[in-house]
Amino acid sequence: MPLDEDRPSLVLQELIHRMKVRDVMTRAVCTAERQTPLRAVQHLMRDRGISGVPVAEHGRLFGIVSTPDIIRAWEGGIIDEPCQRHMSSRLMVLEEDMPLAFAIRYFGRYTYGRFPVLNREQMLVGILSQRDINRALLRELAHEVRRLETHSGVSAAAGDEENFHKYMLREFPVVRLDFENAGKAANQIRLLLLERNIALRLVRRVAVAVYELEMNLCVHSNGGVLSCLVTNGRAEIIACDSGPGISDIEWACRDGTSTATAWVRSLGFGAGMGLPNVKRVADEFSITSSTGGGTTVRVVVQVGNDGRSGATPAEEACPRHAVPDGRSAP
Amino acid sequence: MTTGMIVQRTGWEVLAKGNGYDRHIRRIVASDLMSDVLVVDEDDLLLLTSLVSDQVLRTAQVVGAVGVVVVNGKTLPSSMVAVANGLGVSLLTTRLAKYDACVALHQIMEAKQAHG
Repeated sequence: MPLDEDRPSLVLQELIHRMKVRDVMTRAVCTAERQTPLRAVQHLMRDRGISGVPVAEHGRLFGIVSTPDIIRAWEGGIIDEPCQRHMSSRLMVLEEDMPLAFAIRYFGRYTYGRFPVLNREQMLVGILSQRDINRALLRELAHEVRRLETHSGVSAAAGDEENFHKYMLREFPVVRLDFENAGKAANQIRLLLLERNIALRLVRRVAVAVYELEMNLCVHSNGGVLSCLVTNGRAEIIACDSGPGISDIEWACRDGTSTATAWVRSLGFGAGMGLPNVKRVADEFSITSSTGGGTTVRVVVQVGNDGRSGATPAEEACPRHAVPDGRSAP
Repeated sequence: MTTGMIVQRTGWEVLAKGNGYDRHIRRIVASDLMSDVLVVDEDDLLLLTSLVSDQVLRTAQVVGAVGVVVVNGKTLPSSMVAVANGLGVSLLTTRLAKYDACVALHQIMEAKQAHG
């Protein structure tokens, strides 16, 4: 597939590895049954402007009828026979959990114009054509370009494999009081950084910052978005919410101060250590907020392989295991 | 001392065997306050807690803990076991109170040091 051979941009590589087949496929699949005459299938193809129709019953896929099958049916005078006898039944299929990169390789390797998509229960859930891929990539690329334009220091020009592993951009919506999902962003980012061979102590600092900010969004905000951009040896985490805002930022950043409810405290959080802990692990920290408006916290952790120990700024300032607030460090 | 070794000596119940089950434990942290756990900056720790919540496991994974021991014989929801398996964090339970569980672990560590 040309996408693989031509060394596409880092953003494009990131996209096709991140996106899954289910994000791109057409879900409203037009199907025929095994007893449907080929003529009816042909009408379906003409009316819907499609070149292939899966043959399925109750979600189970039996085959596919494509334009060459219809041509052969006309030539052989069998256009009124059930499609079961003349459909292609040796199928190449995709699974909805597969990365888009995998699907793109399939289109490069085989000459089919579309692939049926199955779920884990082997039921037909969609169909994927190259048109679907083009449309989804254009949409996502436009979105990514807009995002990259808002970030400084993104070097998407470097196209080598090494830099691909250093580049990462993820965005997670965080819903107010959704404790079932809170923490998933931190867990995922941690794994992705480990995959990129970033030192364990640095990974932990990023993960702690993300987790604390994620919990803050979940507990204190009306909901928001958490993003993590890793590029040029630094991880930039931005937590942005839509309110209700912080009236006294200095107070909120002080150890032990919190507005968390008893219920949140019963879950092991709300001790007023979130923002101080984020500051502790951050190389750069900034927060902007307005009462009634939103809050944006921006954190940078240097994750480049520059020989740093991975110690937090507080530890570097006080190497004898004492952090500035007097709490004994582990 | 590894999680496997602890299970062998104490008979604590294993609900999920994580990736670090046989990894050397460097530190024991006992806390019900996840905010406290998040300031611990050391690899391969074992977390003792009486808190029953998925967030215990997420916190454990974020700080790179090998596992979690839930004390006081609490019954854990199946969701917690599923989360532990998903995150690759070992999940154990014991009927001991938190303090007694710490004592038991200390004794294992001392015995190990005494016998090399």
